[in-house]
Amino acid sequence: MATKKKRAPSAQNDSWVVIAADSVIDTHKHDSNPAFVRLRNPSTDAASLYMLGSGDAQLYEVKAFEEDFHSWFVGQTVQRDGRLLFVTPMDPLYLILPYMIKSDKEGKFQPVHQVVMDEEFPACARLLSCTRSLASLNHIAEEKEAGGLKFHRYSQEKTLNWLKKKVERTVVVLKKRNISVGEGVKSTTYVRAKTESDCCEEDYLRYAHGLISEYISEDLSKALLRHLQLPELTSPKETEPPSKKRKLSDKPVKAGEDYTKFNSADFAWKPPKKMTAAQKTLAKVDKTGMKPMSSFFSPKVKTEK
Amino acid sequence: MDLSSFEMDNSVSCRLASQIPDVCRTEDCCLGIDEAGRGPVLGPMVYGICFCPVSRKEKLKELKVADSKTLTEAERERLFQKLDESRNYVGWALQILSPNTISTSMLQRTKYNLNALSHDTAIALVQYALDNGVQLKEVYVDTVGPAEKYQEKLSQRFPGIEVTVKPKADSLFPIVSAASICAKVARDRVVKGWKFNEDLGDVDPDYGSGYPNDPKTKAWLLKYLDPVFGYPQFVRFSWSTAQTLMDSKAVPVHWDDDEEDGEKAAQRQNNKSMLSYFSASAGGNDQSQTHKTHRFFTERRLRSLNTL
Repeated sequence: MATKKKRAPSAQNDSWVVIAADSVIDTHKHDSNPAFVRLRNPSTDAASLYMLGSGDAQLYEVKAFEEDFHSWFVGQTVQRDGRLLFVTPMDPLYLILPYMIKSDKEGKFQPVHQVVMDEEFPACARLLSCTRSLASLNHIAEEKEAGGLKFHRYSQEKTLNWLKKKVERTVVVLKKRNISVGEGVKSTTYVRAKTESDCCEEDYLRYAHGLISEYISEDLSKALLRHLQLPELTSPKETEPPSKKRKLSDKPVKAGEDYTKFNSADFAWKPPKKMTAAQKTLAKVDKTGMKPMSSFFSPKVKTEK
Repeated sequence: MDLSSFEMDNSVSCRLASQIPDVCRTEDCCLGIDEAGRGPVLGPMVYGICFCPVSRKEKLKELKVADSKTLTEAERERLFQKLDESRNYVGWALQILSPNTISTSMLQRTKYNLNALSHDTAIALVQYALDNGVQLKEVYVDTVGPAEKYQEKLSQRFPGIEVTVKPKADSLFPIVSAASICAKVARDRVVKGWKFNEDLGDVDPDYGSGYPNDPKTKAWLLKYLDPVFGYPQFVRFSWSTAQTLMDSKAVPVHWDDDEEDGEKAAQRQNNKSMLSYFSASAGGNDQSQTHKTHRFFTERRLRSLNTL
């Protein structure tokens, strides 16, 4: 079908195809329904979609599988967007962390309710009602208690240790799930006879670090890399390619084999190879008045209009 | 002719065959190939072979088999009956290529055109006769595409058999006429009694000849156009008649092997202009250093959303 088709801008959908953790729809204990909320993405600093369920006790992140040329048949209808949404549990601490870091500039102990505030994303206060939030704050902050009230101050050292544990636990999962972390491209359907034992620990660590970095700021990601004692990789894009072939040694270059022995009379001269029929006919062409090929590559002569 | 095996599943290709006459296994035989229903946008294309001993060639003439196109449907049925009565020396075999087979062949990723499909079907039928012990010496075919090339192809495929490919072979050689009658009779019956797989309720059976220029066929196509699914499997989707109607009346559907305008496609795929690689030291200090998603997510086509 060579016909050109116009792509209409995708219309708004009123339904989605979602895969969610069972706990999302478990509303027995709570009368409130799970709701999509827009919160500040700790890695991009822009808005991202999350979900709060079980009466705000549980946080979920929302990811979309999106590929061109997909649509759904849902019951007796067609849904043009072939997106598949994944709603998966997420540690709320990742979203609280940027606020803690920001408040650290003041350098004093503060009640978290004063810290986790955002005019742009007022829903962020709801993060504190998540079950794990308050209990796990000690992973990223120092705690003080005075008069029955708790005060917190961001600690980078604690945070990095916490993140390091996250990386290590991710490595365990990556190994268990047989996720290819090496540089080479691998098909999931291709079964290797040998297990990938040569795949080194550092690849796993880097991959896990990259994954965790999706949930933290860039600065923190760099700090974490140092904390994991992984040297920073310089991408080849930034460095100019070597302009010339590198010399491997300073010793004078010698030919590996002695070709002089072929310089006998037999090899002295050979008639040029026979031309093919096409080459022969081309050779016969009258070339008078033709420009040489090289002339087409000389700088252009500007013609005045 | 028992069509029940095709009617059980009319979405696939199906072979029907007569008993092989005993004489065909012992005597040198000739074989004719012809097809019916190459042009219509509706219904199957049927390939037929007919074979008989070379010595009985003249007897076929007495049956007054002639090019099926010059005969009425009733005459064709009568002639097929006669062929059936001569089953002690005439054998036949048919390949019914369902419209669905034709559509999916021609529209698949690696295009398989109608000529190639025709050639391969003809070859398979000749092979069928050989496999069943028919002593083939001569094969006559009405051409599909350039006759010489086709003849060369068939001769190479079946060394030791004298292959004659000629346009209008169906009126020149009685054995080809016989094959054309078998094919045409099968097609007529299949089209008439078409069982729609789709739940269309009572389908208007008045679809005319099925040829694209028949006004009745056109009206029928317009009437049974579904905006989402297009047509029932009875229609050959690969025919431009069907495609044009779907392009104008149905919902546009995009496939990943559709050809797109170069620039737009490049933009959609986030391709960089070649020129960008030559600009003086780009990269170095990008103003908008966009966040690069980890390959775990990009490889799985997963991304965060900021709105539903």
